[in-house]
Amino acid sequence: MSDRVFRFVSRGLALISLGVCLAAPVLFFLGRIAERTYKTGFLLASIGWFLLATAWATARKRRPGN
Amino acid sequence: MAERLAKFTSAMDRLYEFDREPVTPDKLQSGGKFAGLFAGEHVAATEFVIGAFFVLHGVTARDLLLGLFAGNLLAVLSWTLICAPIGVRTRLTLYWYLRKIAGPGVTFIYNIANAFLYCILAGAMISVSATAVGLLLGIKVPALNAVLPTSAGWVAIAFVLGAAFTAMAILGFEKLSRFAQIASPWIFFAFFAGALAALSKLGVGTDLSNLWQVATSRIWNGVAEAGQEKFGFWHVLFFAWFCNLAMHVGLSDMAIFRYARKWTYGLYTAFGMFPGHMLAWLCSGVMVAAVGRQMDPGLMAFEAVGAAGIGAVLLAGWTTANPTLYRAGLALQTVTPNWPRWKITLLAGTATTVLACFPVFFLKLLDYVAIYGLVLMPIGAIVFAEHWVFPLLRMEQFKAEKKGWSFNWAVLAVWPGTIVACFLLPIHLYFKWLPGWFIALVSYTALMAARRTK
Repeated sequence: MSDRVFRFVSRGLALISLGVCLAAPVLFFLGRIAERTYKTGFLLASIGWFLLATAWATARKRRPGN
Repeated sequence: MAERLAKFTSAMDRLYEFDREPVTPDKLQSGGKFAGLFAGEHVAATEFVIGAFFVLHGVTARDLLLGLFAGNLLAVLSWTLICAPIGVRTRLTLYWYLRKIAGPGVTFIYNIANAFLYCILAGAMISVSATAVGLLLGIKVPALNAVLPTSAGWVAIAFVLGAAFTAMAILGFEKLSRFAQIASPWIFFAFFAGALAALSKLGVGTDLSNLWQVATSRIWNGVAEAGQEKFGFWHVLFFAWFCNLAMHVGLSDMAIFRYARKWTYGLYTAFGMFPGHMLAWLCSGVMVAAVGRQMDPGLMAFEAVGAAGIGAVLLAGWTTANPTLYRAGLALQTVTPNWPRWKITLLAGTATTVLACFPVFFLKLLDYVAIYGLVLMPIGAIVFAEHWVFPLLRMEQFKAEKKGWSFNWAVLAVWPGTIVACFLLPIHLYFKWLPGWFIALVSYTALMAARRTK
């Protein structure tokens, strides 16, 4: 995978993870999911955010000119 | 071994920045970096405590919303109109600028005081993080009136966390700042998620129709907890305004704004103030109400967000204790000119770790923040007078530097004099700093003018 594609994918997935962090409590508040599901979803999405955002930041730092 | 040690210390020495010289144009930073920095720094571990304390102090929902909005707006304006212009014009840290005004002797005293106060603040952040670890290990959080460490377990947690935070601060402030940029939006989401989940537990309907009713009856119901003083609109406004008094009116954030292209970058502090000092405080208020008003940040976050909540409290403490340790290191650097950065950070971190063992600093955080700002505020007023008022009155600037004074006695008289005058003022602790700032400004200008006449 080229650096550019990697940056694009990692950024996209990181933002999706953050989106799940937002969606999980909203769905719990609306009564669509159980508390346990919300907390597990938030935890997994959080781990995803940190891994993917770190990968994105690292790839961005490697970019020529940075 | 000796060679490896030399390599290690040499690498640490390279962490040294150009704190003692004006920042050069090629090192100026973009507005986005400032927005990220402030957004990250002001969604801190202490927000878990401050927002919750407003509930315990019996603030009503209306007073809280209006007070936080007005107070944070005043804080942003203080950064923009007082701190940023001086930082941009001088491109120096406060410490080195103060040296020109007050002399190295006064700077020495100021830096010791400043570093000590920063260490207490970082210690409070570590204590908040310790509540999260304590929850995992079954160690009880000290009661609201606790001053000294309440158990060996509490001391052990605070010590381990303090050592870990210090070690990571030594390994690289820059790397941690980058990590803080990743962590800060997530920490804010954790506050938001926790509040939303807690609202559900407090009985707010999915259509939000009873939100205000729940907010005014079950969260900010105007009833103070036993032993807690009742707060109103003005307490909240002044608290939000002076919460970072040492940084804006006290000019300590010149260290940051010396990297700004324009003084208007002060407005970027709004990215820290409104999400961090308004929304996060509201969120932590909701969370503490949902756990029966128990002041236990770890428990609040765990109940509301689950295991990720524990991580949020820990990370919020870590990422914000880091720049506070950095600032403490900067303050100490002028006192220890030949020390490398790592050694200074180690000193500041050790002091911070010891202070973190005392729960009083986070349990009396609101009063501590007020005192901390009040102690450093007169120096900001003195620098403001010298920078802006002296040229207007055609008074000579930087006399201490020009005449080689070690101590500018006018500064030495005005600084403690103002603090004493403030404490004698028959008004609430939170309101004392404002008249104090004018007392310092006028008395310093008058003393220096009298000196000129002589």
